[in-house]
Amino acid sequence: MITLESVSKVYKGDVVALHEASVEIDKGEFVFLVGASGSGKSTFLRLINREETPERGKIYVAGKDIASLTSWKVPYLRRNIGSVFQDFKLLTNKTVYENVAFALEVIGRPRHVVKTQVPAILELVGLAKKMSNFPNELSGGEQQRVSIARAFVNRPLILLADEPTGNLDPATSVGIMRLLDRINRTGTTVVMATHDRSIVDTMRRRVIELDRGSIIRDQSRGVYE
Amino acid sequence: MAIKLDYVARETASNLFRNVTLTLASVLTVVVSLTLFGSALLLQQGVENANDRFKGGIEFIVYLNPAVTEEQKASVERDLADNPDVRDFNFVNQDETYEEFQRLFADSPQLVDAVEPSILPPSFRVAPRIQDPEVVQALGETFSGKPGVYEVVFAFEVVQRIQETFNKIGVRFLAAAVMLLVAALMLILNTIRVAMFARRREIEVMKLVGATNWFIRVPFIIEGIIQTLLGAAVAVGFMTFLIRPFIDELSRDRVLPIFQGFVVTDGNLLFTNLLVIGVAVVIGAIGSAVAVSRFLDV
Repeated sequence: MITLESVSKVYKGDVVALHEASVEIDKGEFVFLVGASGSGKSTFLRLINREETPERGKIYVAGKDIASLTSWKVPYLRRNIGSVFQDFKLLTNKTVYENVAFALEVIGRPRHVVKTQVPAILELVGLAKKMSNFPNELSGGEQQRVSIARAFVNRPLILLADEPTGNLDPATSVGIMRLLDRINRTGTTVVMATHDRSIVDTMRRRVIELDRGSIIRDQSRGVYE
Repeated sequence: MAIKLDYVARETASNLFRNVTLTLASVLTVVVSLTLFGSALLLQQGVENANDRFKGGIEFIVYLNPAVTEEQKASVERDLADNPDVRDFNFVNQDETYEEFQRLFADSPQLVDAVEPSILPPSFRVAPRIQDPEVVQALGETFSGKPGVYEVVFAFEVVQRIQETFNKIGVRFLAAAVMLLVAALMLILNTIRVAMFARRREIEVMKLVGATNWFIRVPFIIEGIIQTLLGAAVAVGFMTFLIRPFIDELSRDRVLPIFQGFVVTDGNLLFTNLLVIGVAVVIGAIGSAVAVSRFLDV
């Protein structure tokens, strides 16, 4: 599903974000990216949905070489990739329902699809009763559920999560991880960057560890360190 | 991919109202610049029409001394009536000349106050039988030496002078219009930029979930075009209901036949209005397109 071949990414001032990284992630896998801040986890994720392009190497997503993708095709790549962030990135002037519906509306989904898909996904994340609330009326965990609903409502092949539990307490984090696990079981490939040791150690999934841009460990059913 | 109309309408409307002051600034600049631009065009067409008209009915005016005696006046009048080359003529007395003066200088009250009917020249407005400018000039000059005659003014000279004057005005109008259009362009560019900044989080989410570049851009471009179209609508209103009647009033002036034919036809007005709307769309499209392509890297 995702293949990196000797991928290097260097930012301005010779900051090496990723160095000669080669990874293969299969369809339906659940992968943790671990490592210190600045080790290249976020760059790894940003390369996959082409917010960044690599200096060297090739990246294949769903069989397509995305480095050579023309810019007008990038939106279609992103429709296959859901993204979840530490800071949720919800629109505060829209309700929960509108936030999720927005993701479908802006890619031109017909109204009847929006009307059936949005309540269904909000039911899945357990927020059916809070559809008309605004994000700032929700707890952090609930807001993250909305953002996961938005990322998943279009049934993407891949879900990228950049420290989704970074702002949440441990109990709430467990709930979020259950949700991500459930989404993974539907066949969606999940790649999650995290600092949360207990989550990684409990879930026992594939762990890729980065250190200053290099992959130093790639372990199935791994632990945090 | 079909871009939903209701989405575009909703987003554009909310953008326009979010920045009322900035939107108003751009719209007003567009109004002023397009009104100047259109007026320059209308004047120019009026001058052209006036010229055409005078080709068919060249006239001259015999101005008499304000202190002309009844005898001198009667003598000139007799000569005009007897001259076979004169097709028609009419007399304009001092009071009528004063009325005309008041009307022409209505915006300079001091000047009007300083002038009395008794110092203004009465005149004969003459329509000759033969239209050839040289014949008309020869005919007119036979009156210039007569007692009581102050000056003979030929319509074609006046037309030429009017044309030169209006051309000068037209060039200045156009120069001002172009400068203001550039200002309008930059204002629209900045309005759109501010609108995009206000919606940067939504734009970020749209990119994230895979909205196409055009889907993100179109509401902003439409917003720019709507601003210039609003401005064009007001400018078209000004030209139709203020500028055009003003020019018509001048042309209907019976006392000053030199303005006869100085008219703007419906066709002229339509052409000018359409051109103004066209310019508006182009300015709005360019301003907002530059804004989205420069400040919306997708």
